[in-house]
Amino acid sequence: MYLQDIAQVIRSKNAGPRCTTLDIMFNSDADYQKVVQSRVISAALIAELYAIVLADVKIIEYPIARALKIAIPRKVTAGDPGDRDVYGAQQHARLLKLQI
Amino acid sequence: MSATGRILKEFASLPERRPLRLLGASGQLGYGIPTPAFNAGLERQPDLIGCDMGSIDIGPYYLGSGNMATARESTKRDLRKVLLAARKYDIPLVIGSAGSAGAAPHLEQTLALVREIAREQQLKFRLAFIPGDIPKDLISEAVRAKGVVGIDGMPDLTQEEVEASAQIVGQMGMTSFRQAFEADIDVLIAGRACDTAIFSTLPVMLGFHIGLSVHMAKIIECASLCCVPGGRDSILATLDDEGFTLESMAPQRRATTISVSAHSLYEQNDPFVIIEPEGRAELHHARYEQIDERRTRISGATWVPAPRHTIKIEGARRVGERAVLFCGAADPRFIEQREEILRDVSKVVRDLVCEDAEEDYSLFWRVYGVNGVSDQLANAPLPGEVFLLIECIAPTTDRASEVVRTMKQYLLHFGYEGRLSTGGNIAFPFTPPEISVGTAYKFNIYHIMETDRLGELFPVTVENI
Repeated sequence: MYLQDIAQVIRSKNAGPRCTTLDIMFNSDADYQKVVQSRVISAALIAELYAIVLADVKIIEYPIARALKIAIPRKVTAGDPGDRDVYGAQQHARLLKLQI
Repeated sequence: MSATGRILKEFASLPERRPLRLLGASGQLGYGIPTPAFNAGLERQPDLIGCDMGSIDIGPYYLGSGNMATARESTKRDLRKVLLAARKYDIPLVIGSAGSAGAAPHLEQTLALVREIAREQQLKFRLAFIPGDIPKDLISEAVRAKGVVGIDGMPDLTQEEVEASAQIVGQMGMTSFRQAFEADIDVLIAGRACDTAIFSTLPVMLGFHIGLSVHMAKIIECASLCCVPGGRDSILATLDDEGFTLESMAPQRRATTISVSAHSLYEQNDPFVIIEPEGRAELHHARYEQIDERRTRISGATWVPAPRHTIKIEGARRVGERAVLFCGAADPRFIEQREEILRDVSKVVRDLVCEDAEEDYSLFWRVYGVNGVSDQLANAPLPGEVFLLIECIAPTTDRASEVVRTMKQYLLHFGYEGRLSTGGNIAFPFTPPEISVGTAYKFNIYHIMETDRLGELFPVTVENI
């Protein structure tokens, strides 16, 4: 099963101009637990997917909203010359087809 | 007596605090405030109307240039709507981060609109405004005292960067808003500000719990975004000593335990902490209870005062003038070899435009369909068509324009390996396909500055309108 088949929300957005956050939210506690317990969404995987250093990946479990929060550094500060996504709103796409 | 004076007096005379009702009218004033929900909110007799007007998300251009992100007419319409309502019901109106980026030119443009509306509508009120700008010498002093730290890996701030900044603002907080409220005012327009201060200052002055007030403020500053479905309609928060209740003023939007708690994730890298100049609200013990289908009650936030006051400072500097070229391609051979072609053509261009000048520009390209938005995934198939956005940033408009025009011509006719299409390599949607888009800026300051002069950083001015 792909992550996009089980998650209710998969989104990205800046948290300030130096950080991209990725939120994955679920419809039910069961779906949330299934993904958390699968341990698929790990710092190692995110580091590989986004080509960043493992130590820079922060993953927060937020069961109250059935959500996983991932924070990663931006390679280019928002709006700097050469930036491709000023708001960071389209960096989630590569999470959609993660195999759960 | 003014609107703030009246409510402060009322609460001072109450034997027991009554619940406070705060209307979050808009999270982005200037992009439209839906009237039905706003009017529904007014019918609930709010004690305060608050609107956030700015953000750093919009990028460095607005801060650097002094321009607003919202259009003049839509901004005026929104301001008129909230000013008329606040004066009709004689309640405080609080607007934060005026004019998108909250620097002096943004505040001036917002104040000019407010005065214009007051004239047209014959409104009379006491207006306070607070500039959000931080003088350069003050920042330099803090840099020398090692009291400035980059956020999320921003490089250490240098005197050169401070000097190069077009505008520098600091996010003022409750301390500054409080000074305005104490000046017996009806309307407060703040420059760059913590979005929370808009809604948390009054309740804290009235004796409500700081942690709860800040938590509430952080949610309602985005209007009904915390609901399902999320939206920009006004939201009402009712605060008491134990917690607060949220209700969207649009009937189709429901504030649920999940939607409200999830809002703490939005644009935050830590959903458990809200950092303010004076301390931080911690949400580790926050509780969310569904009251009915449309309302959620929240409690449990705590407040930890900061050992030393800090403010977030933001600055933008000019990097040059920007010109862009729009074009597309559908030839599979071109698409396959695009990177080599673009690199080779950029060298041809450099040799031409630098024949009698320095290489004083930067050239960027984004190939939409392949990696215009994010890095290409391994084994991703190539698309049938691509869009190319070619961008030059140079010291002058003429220079940037020269580079993209030359790029256009040589990209059009470049003879790459295996080319069949000798009529031209790229398609233009219209001509001219190159445009000059004005000055390019970048954020050069996004730092935390320590201060022991929080009460003096943002002086309040009061004006009788």
